[in-house]
Amino acid sequence: MNEFFGTIYDSVFGIFDNLYFLIFQHLYENGGYIKLGLSFVLIPFVCWILFYYLWKYPYGKLWHWLVWMALTVLIVFGTTYGIANTEILGSDNQALNEAIADAGTGYADYAASLPLKYALANSLLALIIGFIYSLIMKQFSKIQIHLPF
Amino acid sequence: MSRKLYIFAIGGTGTRVLKALTMLFASGVKTGNGFDTVIPIIIDPDTGNGDLNRTKDILRLYQEIRNQVELPDDFYAQEIRTINEITVNTPAVNPDYFQFKLKNTDTNTFNQYIGFDSLSEDISEIDDKNFVRLLYSAQNLRSNLDVGFKGNPNMGSIILNQFTNSEDFKKFGQTFGDDDAIFIVNSIFGGTGAAGFPLLLKNFRGNTNITNHIKIRVAPIGGITYLPYFSLTRNEEVNAETFEEKAKIAIDYYNRTIISLNQINTLYFIGNRGNTNQEEYAVGGQEQRNKAHFLEMAGALAILDFCKNINSVPQTTQIKEFGIEHDTQNISFTDLNIENAKQLSAPLTKFHLYTEYLNKGLSRSLNTARWTKSNIKLVRGNKQSLLDRNYFNSAEYNTQIKSFNNYFEEWIKEMKENKPVFSPFEEITADNALEIVKGQTPKGDKSFKALDIQNCLLTDNISIRNKEKKHTMLIKMFGRSTDRVLSKRNLLIR
Repeated sequence: MNEFFGTIYDSVFGIFDNLYFLIFQHLYENGGYIKLGLSFVLIPFVCWILFYYLWKYPYGKLWHWLVWMALTVLIVFGTTYGIANTEILGSDNQALNEAIADAGTGYADYAASLPLKYALANSLLALIIGFIYSLIMKQFSKIQIHLPF
Repeated sequence: MSRKLYIFAIGGTGTRVLKALTMLFASGVKTGNGFDTVIPIIIDPDTGNGDLNRTKDILRLYQEIRNQVELPDDFYAQEIRTINEITVNTPAVNPDYFQFKLKNTDTNTFNQYIGFDSLSEDISEIDDKNFVRLLYSAQNLRSNLDVGFKGNPNMGSIILNQFTNSEDFKKFGQTFGDDDAIFIVNSIFGGTGAAGFPLLLKNFRGNTNITNHIKIRVAPIGGITYLPYFSLTRNEEVNAETFEEKAKIAIDYYNRTIISLNQINTLYFIGNRGNTNQEEYAVGGQEQRNKAHFLEMAGALAILDFCKNINSVPQTTQIKEFGIEHDTQNISFTDLNIENAKQLSAPLTKFHLYTEYLNKGLSRSLNTARWTKSNIKLVRGNKQSLLDRNYFNSAEYNTQIKSFNNYFEEWIKEMKENKPVFSPFEEITADNALEIVKGQTPKGDKSFKALDIQNCLLTDNISIRNKEKKHTMLIKMFGRSTDRVLSKRNLLIR
């Protein structure tokens, strides 16, 4: 799973730079990719479960669905940002911390930019996977089956 | 076991009781005890009567709606048919067949009908003529028959005698089966009903010229006789001040010729002594359109009581009276005895909520809630609703469902405006819809939302879906959803 999610961020979104190998090694070895990956998989899953099966509102319209999607993406964005921040900047990896502390390495600036990148990548993924969840879950929904269309 | 119940509704009161019974049937009340078909037969010479035409229209709509519901099991569960439909086995709806035709009453005056005019003043016929004058006033003789007998049973008994020779009555005999039963509804204080009741009974028990007369003679027969329960705004040709006196005389006659001779198995009496409600004066015709009255619904309950106890009807005449638990002029469900409250509370509340919803709640959900949408993308056809905008714009919905519901609401409203008041419901809006039952305030959301949720949950339920019979989904869905919503909030007496 680590491999799978890592590949998505590295290959699809290009969030990898060999110059800052320590960061990605740390993420890989400490399950950071799993945490980041699960946040765009599980959060939309839970959100759309709530929307399709627990939200008992019979007058749902497309704008409700859009707001829910936006909310889901926002949650994923925030969560991802938090996870990335904690994993990278708040890690107890001695070597990584030293690299970040050393201004000459450029690690500090690069590490600081990563949470936003991961958050944006996960937001896009949440949007896509959320839409797919939505199409699947609506099939079995009793009340919101008509959303998004 | 397949059984038919023939209900002979005589005169204006009979017609209005039939209307009340039809409303109860629409609400989901059933006769039970194997009576799968009810055959109403209206006997009223007053063919232009407002009440009569209203009831015939209600019966027509009931049949049209029911014909478009596949296996109705709640609302409209009881089958209602005309004798003609049974004899020619046709599903075609024609409300004229609910009324038995009386010949020569459309254009004739009473004196023409009995041949009084053709008697000369000659010595050979003058005695006959004078004898007739002894029995009938000049006003009686001049009366047009197309507006009924204007409270004169002595006229009614002559005219209605021809009824048993009619084609309609012959068809009644032909269709009468082994386990069938008869119920007669009449008023004792008017003209048509007071005269028709003993006449009918006499023929059922003794006329050997009717087909199946052996079955008819021994069939269980019940009847409800109305004692005075309203008065009139004016006293002219029809005089409400004579109602009580006429009732006493008729009861005495019934006692001697019907009750003492055990001609009827169960006879229900109902009335409202000291009644204060006044109906607009009308001798008959289009102008006679009395407001619905609680006692007419109570009469419908008598029919249900008769069916319920059909297997234990005594051979000697049993007399029953109707009463309510609390002596009040403003009746609601809790004022009825518990059995009647149980009979009426659930069906009427459910149906009232359903009609109110369609009037006040549908606009919010139409083409928004999934139960009103048939164009949902990427889902199978059996999950699409059959109750989409097209359905609610269809002629069938507007001319059948809406029209019947309007009659139902009018009926509820009229009972509320009459005396005693029958008013178990509160006025509601879309926001406080579940405060529908008087004196009951459920917790939580009170809007129609709960009903819409239940409708959504029911949409893909296969047992309520049928494309061929257009009203199936609406009628079955609301039968179930109103029940769930009201039961959950303990708003029904069960």
